[in-house]
Amino acid sequence: MNTHLEELACLYVLDRLDAPESASFEARLPHDPELRALTRELEDALSRRIHALPQVEPPAGLLAGIEGRIDRLSAGAPARAASPAWASVARWGMAAVIAVGIGILAIQSLRRPPASAERPYLVVVGLDSLNSRLAQLPMPDRPGSADASFIRLASLAERFWEKPEDMPVKLDPATQGGRGYALFDPGSNQGFIAIRQLPMVEQGKRYHLWLLDTASGQVRQAGALPTAGSASGLYFFSVAPAGGQRVDRLDFFITSEDASAPDSAQPHGRVVLGDRRI
Amino acid sequence: MPPPDNQAAIEEACLLAKAGAGDREAFRQLYARYGAPLLSLAVRLVGNVGEAEELLQDAFVKIWRNAASYDSHRSRPFTWAVTVLRRTCIDHLRRRRHVPFTVPLLADTPAQADRLAVDPTRLAAEAREDSERLHGALASAPATQRRALELALFSEMTHAEIAQCLEQPVGTVKSWIRRGLIELRTTFASFPQ
Repeated sequence: MNTHLEELACLYVLDRLDAPESASFEARLPHDPELRALTRELEDALSRRIHALPQVEPPAGLLAGIEGRIDRLSAGAPARAASPAWASVARWGMAAVIAVGIGILAIQSLRRPPASAERPYLVVVGLDSLNSRLAQLPMPDRPGSADASFIRLASLAERFWEKPEDMPVKLDPATQGGRGYALFDPGSNQGFIAIRQLPMVEQGKRYHLWLLDTASGQVRQAGALPTAGSASGLYFFSVAPAGGQRVDRLDFFITSEDASAPDSAQPHGRVVLGDRRI
Repeated sequence: MPPPDNQAAIEEACLLAKAGAGDREAFRQLYARYGAPLLSLAVRLVGNVGEAEELLQDAFVKIWRNAASYDSHRSRPFTWAVTVLRRTCIDHLRRRRHVPFTVPLLADTPAQADRLAVDPTRLAAEAREDSERLHGALASAPATQRRALELALFSEMTHAEIAQCLEQPVGTVKSWIRRGLIELRTTFASFPQ
């Protein structure tokens, strides 16, 4: 085996590959018995290294504490509603608000070859005030349920939030203003939207997220963003299924709409993040 | 790809699957197996028993919530659990902006050892011997490989930070990590399970 593959296996076992590298490695594993055997041996070595540490016994009561937290989570877990629905999943440190400059939007899509029909993909769209960049993230398998898809999406979304450098799409760090990314599973029609540094919502307005099929021009509303005074956050959303969508022709944008107006199937307000003119 | 190929891994994969379906007893059995090694790893990562216990709780809540997403084709159950814990610890360390410049290598310092509530009954003679042989084998490995691997495993440093710490290019650091882990695998290949 060549040293490059050995290195990938080592870094994979140590959880030191970025998301695309890790997905690529996992996709290779089923077809390469030698690599699989090496990976298992490395995992065993890692396990024994950890078991060779001075062992610290958890104190009595720790398990009860964990189970108590699990019980509270189960009791308070909101049911995920039918689309379009939002759930604020997590909020981390609030970044300072910087005015968004919506200028002329230059679309620079990083579009990869279309996915094969049987290969599951996630769509990642990086958004800032100037660019919209799309990439497809191949997944080794199709989640068995919407919940499994949710967990996978949440894990990736959180990782990208914590480590933007792991994202398969890169935004220009020099670009001023709001930025964010959408992570979307076309199979389950759910995803996460992360925003940073959006301007505070004006009085009487609210932000809406829209999903755009750039091939057909079809727009789908993903709901009102529950920003609640914050300019940053990571939110779950789901949308109504659409037939015939092209996963390499998806885009997202956020508009500022009148809060008092009834929900509309079409955006009317100004775009505050992303682009709809594709 | 076949499922986990040793008895412990098969049992643990089953426990994870059951926990994923809401079986609390399976979760407790998993905790009985993983609690001590994961807490030991957390202590090594954050250097503080109290914080490590908090993080172990966080990790086990995540394990409960995500157990259904465990995929035996990708990794062994213990590796998966280690990943959950390491990410939890690393997130915590980065939030508190603690970036260690050095990480203790093979032997833990006496001060650290004193703080650890080591249960002697837990450390069976075979495990001690295993540990001593491991330490001996690691001590004989080139210091550079050893250090790179230990930093990769027991610190929250990125590759770039490890490279800066070791004053080497990132590519060299990755190569040292590879050699260190391959060496570890070779060492354990001669050990009884």
